[in-house]
Amino acid sequence: MLASIKSLALLALAATAAQAAVVTYDWNITYVNANPDGLHERRVIGVNGQFPIPTINVTLGDTLVINVINQIDQPTSLHSHGLFQTGNAQFDGPSMVTQCPIPPGANFTYTIPIEQHGTYWIHGHNRGQYVDGLRGPLIIHNTNETYKYDEEYTFALADWYHTEHEIMLEQYLSIFNPSGAEPVPESGLINQRTDTKFNFVPGKTYRLRIINMSALAMFHFYIDGHDMEIIEVDGIDVERKPVTSFYVTAAQRYSVLVKARADASQNFLVHADMDPAMFDVVPPELQLKVQGTIVYSESAPLAPNGVTDEYEPFNDALLVPVVPEATQKPDQIFPLTAAFSVLNDYSNKATFNDITYVMPKVPTLYTALTTGNLSSNPEVYGKYAHPMVVKHNEWVEIIINNDDPGNHPFHLHGHVFQIVGRSTGKYDPASGPYPGYIDSPNPSRRDTVLVPSEENVAIRFKANNPGVWLFHCHIEWHLQAGLATTLIEAPEVMPSVLKIDPTHIEHCKALGIPYRGNAAGNEGLNLDGANIGPDPLPGTFTAKGIVALVFTIISALLGLATVIWYAREDDAHISAQVAQAKNTEEEH
Amino acid sequence: MGGYLSIPTFFIIFRETVEAAIIVSVLLSFLRQVLNDDPVMRKRLSRQIWAGTALGLLISLAIGGGFILVWNWYGKNLWAASEGIWVGCFSFIAVLMITLIGIAMLRTNQMQEKWKLKLAKAMDNENANGLGNQSRKYALFLLPLVTVLREGLEAVVFIGGVTFTEDPKAIPLAVVAGVALGLLIGFLIYRGGNKMRLHPFFVGSTCLLMMLAAGLVSKGVAAFEADHWNRLTGAQSDDAGTFDPRYNLWALKCCDPKQPDAGWWSVANALVGWSNIASYWTVGSYIMYWGLVSAWLIRLNNKRIQKALGGGVATASRPLLSTGSSATELEEEGEAYTPVTGSSSAHASEQTLTGYDGVESSAHGGQQPHHLTRRHDGYGAVVNAGASTGTGSGAGASGVERPE
Repeated sequence: MLASIKSLALLALAATAAQAAVVTYDWNITYVNANPDGLHERRVIGVNGQFPIPTINVTLGDTLVINVINQIDQPTSLHSHGLFQTGNAQFDGPSMVTQCPIPPGANFTYTIPIEQHGTYWIHGHNRGQYVDGLRGPLIIHNTNETYKYDEEYTFALADWYHTEHEIMLEQYLSIFNPSGAEPVPESGLINQRTDTKFNFVPGKTYRLRIINMSALAMFHFYIDGHDMEIIEVDGIDVERKPVTSFYVTAAQRYSVLVKARADASQNFLVHADMDPAMFDVVPPELQLKVQGTIVYSESAPLAPNGVTDEYEPFNDALLVPVVPEATQKPDQIFPLTAAFSVLNDYSNKATFNDITYVMPKVPTLYTALTTGNLSSNPEVYGKYAHPMVVKHNEWVEIIINNDDPGNHPFHLHGHVFQIVGRSTGKYDPASGPYPGYIDSPNPSRRDTVLVPSEENVAIRFKANNPGVWLFHCHIEWHLQAGLATTLIEAPEVMPSVLKIDPTHIEHCKALGIPYRGNAAGNEGLNLDGANIGPDPLPGTFTAKGIVALVFTIISALLGLATVIWYAREDDAHISAQVAQAKNTEEEH
Repeated sequence: MGGYLSIPTFFIIFRETVEAAIIVSVLLSFLRQVLNDDPVMRKRLSRQIWAGTALGLLISLAIGGGFILVWNWYGKNLWAASEGIWVGCFSFIAVLMITLIGIAMLRTNQMQEKWKLKLAKAMDNENANGLGNQSRKYALFLLPLVTVLREGLEAVVFIGGVTFTEDPKAIPLAVVAGVALGLLIGFLIYRGGNKMRLHPFFVGSTCLLMMLAAGLVSKGVAAFEADHWNRLTGAQSDDAGTFDPRYNLWALKCCDPKQPDAGWWSVANALVGWSNIASYWTVGSYIMYWGLVSAWLIRLNNKRIQKALGGGVATASRPLLSTGSSATELEEEGEAYTPVTGSSSAHASEQTLTGYDGVESSAHGGQQPHHLTRRHDGYGAVVNAGASTGTGSGAGASGVERPE
């Protein structure tokens, strides 16, 4: 094992030096009409008039160049999910974090040195455009793979909606959705189809790359009649782990090795079951159990369907990376509690520590680069970007409490992180040190981790990548609802490492977006005019409440007084009034 | 108490019981005061009250039991789906009845003797027909029925539902304690009412009833509002705890009468309609209720002054029974106390216990004068119109003996 690691490293270095190619893709982002589940044709976002969009294939050491021309009517951007972008943060993609979005009609070239290998994907990162189809596999090959296999296939799993995301987003965030029920998809897809077939030849070994490109759905993956061994998770090669099934949340990836059977007498089903717990309701017409077929022979019969509702429990913290990395004591610990509630704009929003993410007026990366010494002061980024400032090469720990009944997959840009702890309940820093640490010399590493409902997870990484990195739930609806924070990593080092291409600034100007200064676009710490997010409801009396209460009490008192007054109007009083009235009459 | 007293259950049962007990005890006390010397009538009307109470209890057990069965067997929470509508409708019916009876009691303050006869006539009248007439005749039956039905239904469904979350062995004691305390309060009101002087009793009970009714208006509106909001948001029931933000006036994190730990907040909800969430609708309807009641009382007062001043056709030939009555009431008086004329029975059917229904009576205004020359009404000698004008307060003329 160690020998293969060393040779791996050497070969990688050699490969980088000798064979570094520039792999270019020319992508026009366009609208296309498509009907991937065969149930409903709709407009989707595709590339070069095609849907699904092309798969990107590069090799460790290459430079990936994507020439984007935005030919839809909305600004857009692309994020290569899982790629470290070391010293390259300006090409990471999230809109208003590392760039202004690409205006309609404009060009933008992503230039990305490939410094890692494994299974990744690329998707839109402005609004929820990836839900409308702007998503596809990004496969990085190693010149000398850790494991040997004959062929590989990609299983890009995704949920699919029949409605455009902007419409669903409006409904999701409206005041008429106070419980925050996410839109439920209409179907599940493998490689943007419902009828995928994969050819297996008896005796061969296949690497299956499984990517979940969903907005929301979590899949359970298993294959009838075949054993699987996990060999890669989120781009990290791991020691072989045999499993019968495993779960994949939105944005996670796995590679498994599958040995084909000895004969071609039967074909077999591949299962990707959507987990109903992720959906607010499961309409009867929604097919949770998505299937593909392993074909040995076109004429062979299908083996009995092994579909099940019982899945083997799967713990990704038990996976052991092939290239070990010991953990270190953290220099900073950020406890974050994720929750959902109706805020004072009356829509159900997501919060980390009672703060909901709102995009600043200036892309956060540009703020870090144009505020000089103030870039290490979190204030300059605005409260609602929820900045977490760390110094270069510090070890950073984030403890994520999931204070919500739903399960959430959390993703950190620019890094893989170690999973160093897991426990149930809510961790309160005031109660003492974190109780759930896993003691391991080589903790599991990945870039997207599931934190189940009412549980918590501790992750750790080294801040060796100066830049601005978004940390967020990868359920797209929840990101739009504000379940995000921004990691401001080594701002003191950034200006010497990062240079912003002037064309990026031109795009900001074209969209009227400020590109210098703090979160409000001002100098220094003057944050007048910054984008303000909604806050938690006070839960106490406001001015109008007090006025209303006072009026109700007054009205009750006056009413009671009237009752008492009416009852006291006795005969003597009445006749006195009458007499007086008569007197006044007679006087006239 | 260990695990044997479910506090949430206790408070829920107590508040439901106390609200019904207040109404029933006030009515019973009222009867005792007014019909002190007519035990037959009193017994008859008391039976109405008890019959209404018992029937309300029975029906609420039956319907509530039905809801619980469906919930257990079919998993369909029918109560939650329609709770808003049920509570809203029952609330408004109860408000109407409570208000009318409350005002009636106020006016009984002035004309106790007259009331006895009115009650007697209303009970004996066999030609009474029509829903309005029937409901007036049986008001003392209907109000307890509607009240106990509403309270009982909520309590039964709650117990049926709460046994799933509460420890079952903690339920019985809580129910018994809640009912016992509620009944005790009712009993105290009854006894207290009997011992009070008449005037403060009537005023006090009316105030109590009006506060209850005002709270009920607000709660009824809130129930309809919650139902509407649930339909807008697709929620299953108003336990979602959400509200329409467009019309909201206050939304407190604390003090929610619907929570298991609500304690006295839930009692406040029963007595004055308190809620931790208020809207323009609930606050507005509450204020409007008091406004309407006040305006109405002022109008009634003006009418009796008018009457005393000699306004209205009928008054010239009407004996002034008491200055507390309106002109229209006096018209009815005439009808009530002259059984000889054939048409009087038709008019008698227009009688109301409360005597405020001016519309129908005035329609017969033209026919009345000749009915009123003779009255044997227990008030004293026959009075003639002339003596009545302007001297309403004269004991002899008005004949009202105020038993104070």
